[in-house]
Formats: sequence, structure tokens, C-alpha cells
Amino acid sequence: MTAPSLDDFVALSVDLTAFGETDLLGTGLGSPYLAKLRGACGDAVVTALFAAHQAARAESAGDPDGFDRALRYRIFSDDCLGPVARNVIKLWYAGTWYGLPPEWTDSYGAQSAAQTSTVTAASYQEGLLWRAIGANPPGAKAPGFGSWAEPPRIDDRYLKGARR
Amino acid sequence: MFVKFPQGATERTDKDAAAEVLYDVVIVGAGIAGSIIAAQLSEAGKRVLILEAGPAEDLTLRGYESYLDRFYSSTSKDNQAPYPASLAAPMPRGTDTRRIAPGAPDTSAYLVQSGPLASDTTYTRVLGGTTMHWEGKTPRMLPDDFRMRTLYGEGVDWPLSYEDLAPYYAEAERVIGVSADVEDQSFLGITFDERYVYPMKGLPLSYLDRMVAKDVDGMPVELDGEQTRLRVRPFPQGRNGIPNPAYDGGNGFVPQGAVSTYQVEVGERCQGNNNCVPICPVQAKYHAGKTLTVALESGRVDLIAQAVAYRVHVDPETGRVQEIEYRRYKRPDSKAFTTVRARGRLYVLATNAVENPRLMLASGLRGSSGLMGRNFMDHAYLLTWGLLPEVAGTFRGTNCTGGISDLRGGRFRRNQAAFAVDIHNDGWGWSRGAPMTDLLDLVDNGGRYGESLRQGLVDRVSHQLLLAFMVEVPASPSNRITVDPSYTDRLGNMRPILTYAIPDYTMRGVAYARQLSKRIFARLGAEDHTDYDPNFWGYATYEGQGYEIRGGNHLAGTHMMGSDPSTSVVDADQRSWDHQNLFLVGGGSFPTVGTSNITLTIAALCRRSARAMLTQLDREQAPVQLATAGAPSHREEAGR
Repeated sequence: MTAPSLDDFVALSVDLTAFGETDLLGTGLGSPYLAKLRGACGDAVVTALFAAHQAARAESAGDPDGFDRALRYRIFSDDCLGPVARNVIKLWYAGTWYGLPPEWTDSYGAQSAAQTSTVTAASYQEGLLWRAIGANPPGAKAPGFGSWAEPPRIDDRYLKGARR
Repeated sequence: MFVKFPQGATERTDKDAAAEVLYDVVIVGAGIAGSIIAAQLSEAGKRVLILEAGPAEDLTLRGYESYLDRFYSSTSKDNQAPYPASLAAPMPRGTDTRRIAPGAPDTSAYLVQSGPLASDTTYTRVLGGTTMHWEGKTPRMLPDDFRMRTLYGEGVDWPLSYEDLAPYYAEAERVIGVSADVEDQSFLGITFDERYVYPMKGLPLSYLDRMVAKDVDGMPVELDGEQTRLRVRPFPQGRNGIPNPAYDGGNGFVPQGAVSTYQVEVGERCQGNNNCVPICPVQAKYHAGKTLTVALESGRVDLIAQAVAYRVHVDPETGRVQEIEYRRYKRPDSKAFTTVRARGRLYVLATNAVENPRLMLASGLRGSSGLMGRNFMDHAYLLTWGLLPEVAGTFRGTNCTGGISDLRGGRFRRNQAAFAVDIHNDGWGWSRGAPMTDLLDLVDNGGRYGESLRQGLVDRVSHQLLLAFMVEVPASPSNRITVDPSYTDRLGNMRPILTYAIPDYTMRGVAYARQLSKRIFARLGAEDHTDYDPNFWGYATYEGQGYEIRGGNHLAGTHMMGSDPSTSVVDADQRSWDHQNLFLVGGGSFPTVGTSNITLTIAALCRRSARAMLTQLDREQAPVQLATAGAPSHREEAGR
């Protein structure tokens, strides 16, 4: 088995986060996050996750609705891959690796790096959550004096969203 | 301009040599109260020894950044997250708070809580004290707050009036470096000298504040037969803004930047990090390390850290304090300590309204009035939260830039507590852990990823509005700090025990606050998502309704000042009635806590008390023999 590649990890992450490859690699955290994922889940699970993602892409052949369904069927509803994929999303958004649920570790084994932890001090600062809401991570990347009086920099396409 | 910390100042004082020195003043606690007094007394040529319980190294940018790194790396981002825990001088931590079962005190953390209501109130034991994590709001108290008994038959009158304190408020605003505009802060009787301006101009309101103001400004409220109209108003802030050229008769004001032993270029204007609590990453926010540095620069102030005051010894004949016995520990995790004494002409306990009475009671000094530790006060915070109809850009700015101050005073105070209202720029962070909890919920339970997640986050987080009602708590003798020899910390110091319940007067204010919040949300067209959990540790019911009550870290009242020794612990100068050379300073001296965050008033009182100390030192200038002739020269050399 070859080691899971950064390219496959980034391709998966782009689809899970809706941030572009440049945005993700620009955090400088692609490699540390992949290492964290491998340390927490083991290479067999990571390889299976990447394979499922590629299969979903191939199966849907560019149809967005089909791709969404394929991800739900192959990954999010899967006992093994679902919690791992959700953790990858949270890792990118929050900068924190959250401990996998006990039913997951009971079935697939507890790896050495499985517990909740921050990856590096920088990972909190690079969390995509803050960019998604047009804010800085509290305590870092200060936007400047008085900037808070201006409207937030959130892409127009999110401003008229239907609130649930 | 950066604040230059004198290199080696935390290590230059040898504890054994210091034990042989009779200082003019011995101060316990290197927070804002102790630092202000040390700076003022040393400026007047007095020799000062400061004992600080927390661990301390020279204040440098690198040291400050280690706080910041601890914060970034911590999975819990609570008030104490950046600061090193010391087992020898433990700090209460909000995350320790547990619901208290009747009859079973919670002894699991440093602050023993016997209830009935649990509190998450905290203080920080490092150089600079709780101003390291404070938010930095600096409102003056209202003139009415000083005369509550006379005006409303509730609480206690101060032995001081607003007019007495006003010049010291102005001094405190200079020491802290307050950004505000007089025209925004003149209300409900608060007055300023004719040409007064704050050191720096007010910080702008946030986009969120303005969105709220658009609908709330002018909202009519009728209470106890009085009409008032609400208005979103900026808060004065203890953080750097744009200096006002008209300050000090046109001389202007130079803001204090970051503290370090070497030149650094941070700490100028607030950059909007939205992280005032628990740590401003650039030191644009004032912390007492800035004032402590001024004191240490004088060369007349000695500092011994890792020195936990253990006992105040008094002369049984005269009642005067003879020495403070303290325990010096080597490492924060060590059990071993050495016992050392500190002696001065005057003594100042400047810890806080929990640790001051704790030390006195542990020393067997209950006070002739029996009030030591009684009348503990804090602010009771009621949070209400909703979603605004439009994207408000929540999570930007300082933690809080504006709020509603119109119901801080009024005739209704004869019946119910007043409050100030904060509009929180950090959304539902305080009440529900936003935005992390929103993220987790959307991903784990909402099936969101990719574009639908990004849309969900904007919908859920960027519309958030949280109103924090800071409700006054009147003095009540049964709310108190006590000690018990069966509860001690690692160094053998008796731990503080808090007994706390919210008086009905406050609960009436809480209930009214909840009703008002519903009206405000309705006027804004906001969805009200407020939901109080009966299992919450601070859950309190009043007239059939339940509320989550949180602590404010605004500790007050435990050694109340007054003009009658039988009904107070200290006089208007914060001097102990029982021990004429002892001052107990800080929030503990407040007879009422009003609706002001307490730090500015603490600073003003300490500026005033320092003058009283100088007067007393001059008056009592009897010749005193130093125990060791060599000791003074030691400290003078070290001071250069």
C-alpha cells in the first residue's frame, strides 16, 4: 500500500470545505493535517476515504447533485468513513482534531493520536471558520483599528441565504 | 510608545535581605490596585515592597507571547487559558464550576463553593492580576450609586460622593488610558469638569451595534412611572485609540504600548482582535503590568514573586500590624516553601475582594464589626440571545463596543435592580460557545459540508446578537467569604469559601431584563433563541421562571467602607478601622457595586488612598531602627 498523498488529501478537502486548493495550501497546514489524520485513523482508513472520494467523483461525472448523493452514500453515511470525513471538515474549519466517537474507536481501533488536540498554535489561527464568517480568529490576524465599524467581508452569495 | 520594564526587576530583591528592611509600605498583590499605589508612593520617594503570589518573570514581549501561545494551543479558551496555573497559588477557573447540591459544598476546585448558587467568577494570579484577562470597560459609577440608602432605601450609602471621587476618576482614566468621548458619557448625573476630555477619543461602535441602534434608538420604556428612551451608546474603554489633542489642556496624551525589557513596536491602537478577554495579543488593552513597570522603574520598589501571604500579625495592644508572614515557593509545582516576613510602616492588602478577606480571616482577624468577608458582591449577568434578520458581521471588533446604559439609574431602583446592557461583538460565545458549537452542530448533526456549510455558518453565526444584562447585586451580609482549616491549598493556606445567593431585589431586575430583551428582539425583528437550561450550574428561579445567572468577575463588598466602625471594615481612605496602619483596598471596599465594571472605581479609590497613605507616613514619621544596617544599601544598589 502506498502512503496517502497530499494531492488526494487536498482534493478531498476542497470538496469538503468549499475552499480552493490555493486557500488550503496557503494555510501551510496541508501536510501537518494529513499527518494528523494518518496518526489518528491509520493509513488503511485514510486510503479508503480517498478512494471513496475518487469513486464518488468518477461516478457522478460532473453532476453536482449526483456528486452530493455519492458523497452521502459512500462517505457521510458510512460507519467508518463518515466520522472521519466530518473530522477532516472540523479540522480545517476549527484547527482542532476532535476525538473520534467511542463507537468508532471500538470498531476501528484507537490510534495514538486519536484524542482531541490542536495540531499547532497556528492551526487555530488558520481555521477556515473565521474566513467563512468574514472575521479574524479572535486573538490573531487583527483586521485593524475601526474595521469593525464597516460591513463584514462576506461573499455576496452568502448574504441572502435562507435562514433555517 | 513601549513601556520599558527594568531588566532583572523581578529577581533583584533577595527575600532574606528584604526581611531585614523596614519598608515604608508593604503591598500584597501586583494587580492594578497594588501597582497604582506602588507607583504613586514611590514617586513620592517612599520605599515599597510588593509581594505577588503568582509566578513572575520580567515582563517582556517574549514572555507575553508565551501567554498567547498557550492560548492558541489550548482547547479551552476560557478566561484563564493563557495564564500558567500554579499549584502553590491556585486561581479559580470558570470551567471548574459545578451545580451545587443542597447541603453539599463543591470543594473540587480552589474556590470552595457552599452555594446555594454556584458562581464561575474568577481572578488571575500573575503579575498584573486580573487586568491581564479583563475586558477593559471603564464606566464611572453614577452619583446615585453612592447614595442608594438615602435615595432608594436599598443598600448602603458610601462615605464618599461622586463629586469627592470625580478628580480621582480623571486620574484613573489617565493611568489606564481610557478611550471615550465626554458627550457620550454624560448621562444619569455623570458630570465632568468643564474642559475635560478623555485621554483618547472614543472607539467606533461596531457594525453590529449600529444595526441594533437603527431600531433600538428612541425605543420608549416606562418603568415605575418614569419614561425613558433607549439609545445604543459606546462604552469607555481601557484600550488605546486615537489620542485626543485637547487632553490635559492641549498637551495631548501619549498612549502606553506593550511592556518589555527591550524595544518593541506593538501595543498602539486597538487592532480589533476581538479577544480582549482572555488576552489582548498586542497589549493595546491596558493591563496593570504597565503601571507596575512605572513603579519598578523608580528604583524604590522591590518585588518578590511566588510569595503567598500566609498571615497578618498584629500587636494585640495597639492593633497595629507588625509583619506579614508569607510563604515563598521555589517552583509553581513545588510543595516546599520558606517562611519569610515582610515589615513596613504601612501595609496594603491589594489582592481582591476574595483573597483580602481570606487572608484576614485566616489570620484570625474577623474585625470588630464582624463584617470581614461579608457583603460579597458581584454582578449577576443575564444573557439573552437571538438572530438578526440581516447579516450583522458578528465576531468583529473588541469584545464589546456599545450597549444600553439608560436603565442604570431611575426611580425604579427603590423596587428592583438596575442594569447596564452590553451588545456582545462575540455573538453567542458567552452563552453557548459560538461559533465552535455552531460549526460542530452544522457538521455533526446538520449534514453540512462544502458550500452548504459555508452558507450555514453565515446564516447561523453572522446574524448572532447577544445582549448581556449586567445586573446590580446589593450588599447582603449572608453573601460572604469565609475560611475553614479543613480546606487548605498546597502551601497550607486556607482556601476561600464562597456562600452566595442572588437577592430578590436583583432577581426582580433579572426578570425585568428578560422581558425587556423580548421587546428589543421584537423591535429588531430578531428571532429570540434564549433558552435557560435547568441543569445549568447558575440556574435560579424567580416567580416561577428560571434563568441562567453567570458571574461577572466584579468582586466587591467584603471589607466595605463606611463612616461608622460598627457597620464597616474600612474608612473612606480604605484604612482598617481596627488596624490603623493597614489598608484593605480594591472592590472589597465598595458599599454598593452599582452597574459599573469595578476596575476604574478601584483605580480611583486607590489613587485617593495613596494620598492618605502619604499623609499618614508623614504624620507617623517616628525614628525607626533598621534591624540590619546593610540592608538599605543592598536595595539601593539593586535598584539601579
